[in-house]
Amino acid sequence: MAELSDIALVTQVAVFRNKKAFDQLVRKYQSPVRRFFLNQTGGDGQLSDDLAQETFIKAYTNITKFRGVASFSTWLMRIAYNVFYDEIRSRKQTEDIDTTAIKNTKMSGSDTGMNMDIQTALAQLKPDERTCITLQLIDGYPIDQISKITGMNENTVKSHLKRGKDKLAIYLKENGYGR
Amino acid sequence: MDDKDKIMIEEFFKQAAKQQIEDNGFTERVLMNLPDREVEEARRLSRLWTLFCLAVGSMLFFLLGGWPVLKDLLQGGFHMLVSAFEVLLVTATTTEIPVNPWALLLTLGFVIVFLPYQIARKLYVIQ
Repeated sequence: MAELSDIALVTQVAVFRNKKAFDQLVRKYQSPVRRFFLNQTGGDGQLSDDLAQETFIKAYTNITKFRGVASFSTWLMRIAYNVFYDEIRSRKQTEDIDTTAIKNTKMSGSDTGMNMDIQTALAQLKPDERTCITLQLIDGYPIDQISKITGMNENTVKSHLKRGKDKLAIYLKENGYGR
Repeated sequence: MDDKDKIMIEEFFKQAAKQQIEDNGFTERVLMNLPDREVEEARRLSRLWTLFCLAVGSMLFFLLGGWPVLKDLLQGGFHMLVSAFEVLLVTATTTEIPVNPWALLLTLGFVIVFLPYQIARKLYVIQ
């Protein structure tokens, strides 16, 4: 079957509750969504998969609310962001995720050492800074899209990005990068 | 932060940006956990039916003059409760029936607070 556009797939899911169409959407976006959670949780694979699953289930049950104003990926990442911050709120203490996750690093991929370095570098940042940095530098979203995903205004996103990058520059220099 | 720092940070994240996570059965797990359309529909209908019954019941209650009946019933019940309490107060001091005030408080709390809360929760009034 030829690959359908996101809008066509979303329509299939919204109107006919077509699970095959939703299957295609999950396959297409599972990697960026799980990667987003891995980066927010410091590489906790199990927690990331649980949150990613919750994100897709919420997307499925609320798919009729997707109006197509933003792209499907932005809408999905907005749900992912809300799921993550609900999780933080439910744990009350952000430190739960910040400090325990690094120990449980289960990143897939060939270069685990590099992944560890990235997670350790990201652990230097506050949650909002980390979210903005990863959305821009790893997921490649421009500032206006990050603003839509996080619900922050663009100036706030810019200041999180600046503060985050300043911290990262110091951390990377101290650890021998950029020589 | 200068351009050199910017390039250093972008280079650092370049590899992470290319990383693709293998599906490894994730999609199947999501699809297995999706709520069934029939179940969703049944829940929706159940809520609508509850609301409908509530509306009809309330309408009949007022149309058939249910309020005076309920008022008498509540007044009667209240008087009975007060009488029972008075009897308990009088007899408890003259007989050897042990009355634990905490147990009494707990029972009243259960009947007055917990039971109505549970009933309301079951009827989706409190989510």
